[in-house]
Amino acid sequence: MKRIMTIALILLVAVSCKKKIKAPENTREFQIESSYASATYDIKIALPENYDPQNKKYATIYLLDGKDNFKFVAHHCKEISEKKSTENVMVVSIGYGRDRALDYTPTKVKSGSGGAPEFMQFLMNELKPLLESEYAADTTRRSRVILGHSFGGLFGAFAFTKHNNFFGNYLMLSPSLWWDNEVLLQYEQDDRSIISNKDQLVFLGIGKLENSGRMQAPFEAFYQRMSKYYSSMKLEKNSVAGMEHMGSKNPNIIKALEFYFQNR
Amino acid sequence: MKKQYLYTVTIMFMIIYTYAQNDSLKSSATYKNKFTIEPGIGISPMPIVDMSLTNIVQWGIAKRFSVISYTSLKENNLFKRNFNYIKGTNNHTISQSFGVGTTFCSKHADHTFSMLAGIKYTTYTETMSNPQFEKVQVSISEWNPDAGLMYNLKLGRKRFFFSYRMYIPLAPYPMLSRDFSSVDGNIANISLEAGLGIRLN
Repeated sequence: MKRIMTIALILLVAVSCKKKIKAPENTREFQIESSYASATYDIKIALPENYDPQNKKYATIYLLDGKDNFKFVAHHCKEISEKKSTENVMVVSIGYGRDRALDYTPTKVKSGSGGAPEFMQFLMNELKPLLESEYAADTTRRSRVILGHSFGGLFGAFAFTKHNNFFGNYLMLSPSLWWDNEVLLQYEQDDRSIISNKDQLVFLGIGKLENSGRMQAPFEAFYQRMSKYYSSMKLEKNSVAGMEHMGSKNPNIIKALEFYFQNR
Repeated sequence: MKKQYLYTVTIMFMIIYTYAQNDSLKSSATYKNKFTIEPGIGISPMPIVDMSLTNIVQWGIAKRFSVISYTSLKENNLFKRNFNYIKGTNNHTISQSFGVGTTFCSKHADHTFSMLAGIKYTTYTETMSNPQFEKVQVSISEWNPDAGLMYNLKLGRKRFFFSYRMYIPLAPYPMLSRDFSSVDGNIANISLEAGLGIRLN
């Protein structure tokens, strides 16, 4: 009996051990105060290996919910770019200045929401100029990527529809497209004629077990529209088997980065 | 909601702990050859209430060692199936697990801690019928492995007894968040169940 319980405990501990991801080696950290959002944001940047600001310009991933995802994304950018023998990117982690439910939602449904327009202004007019002047960020639309999950994915869809000139690549994971009676589908419908012919790369990821009764149908509607109306777009959809909202995040980040490095 | 949930789980732990303090374990008691069936109903309070019908069959094969079968039929999001023009239907999860457990007997109750593994089948349909947009329907059905830890309290020494159990899902693991208050963390997906058990011998 004791032996069985010991074996069971060892198995449990073995299953619980998670692969430890190291912090990226070459990083910079600073704070930036936004006059648009009236908040101070913690910014971390993972610089590519052999970073050479004098002679090179680098693509930039604007990473939402950076506090939670920075190490994971930076680690996999390095790994995937090495595997594909291609230049790595600058990963820019954007920490929380205000509540994410305020910064990432496009319309005000309740108190503490609807701050995406100001947050977008912060990215375009305060963070981007700094990345281009102080670091070797490439200045072209094609080189800018937005990566977000959940409300972060919703913000990605907002940037795609309303500020399509800024980002050329959209990695949207489990986007909360149900927000405000699917308002993002309305935005897409309104702006389709302006944005549908642009070159862009879109990755849409979700978990197959996101059965909270709100995620799948608007996600599918958004995907179907992308497939039907956006002829110049490189598009991929991924549905992670056996995973829910949070569980699908990391597998989808890896898929999204592979898709980006393959097709950029 | 998260705070209420945290309080509920804390209170449950405190009740069990207090009860255990007042009901000292009997080291000589044996669970061998005991056979119980325990149907019950349960809830998974986070993030949106799921309700389940469950059954445990436990057979003691040694002094403190049992084999256990756990069956569950869960109705997911039972109370929120219309949201922002999105209607959810046929949202069920059926699971069957088998496992082993160790039982500690006290004067009034048996406490069993077990590890279970098996399969689960989840199916659901979402239909978006927003009059401003095209109608879209998505149906998903999937088989997945299931695993978890269970605490089972059998209260009472007669043929019929009160059964309480707490099931902590470990699948998928470690992909589920370890944050206690996360909406789909392992702890947040606990199933709390109660029912009436019967001793067959």
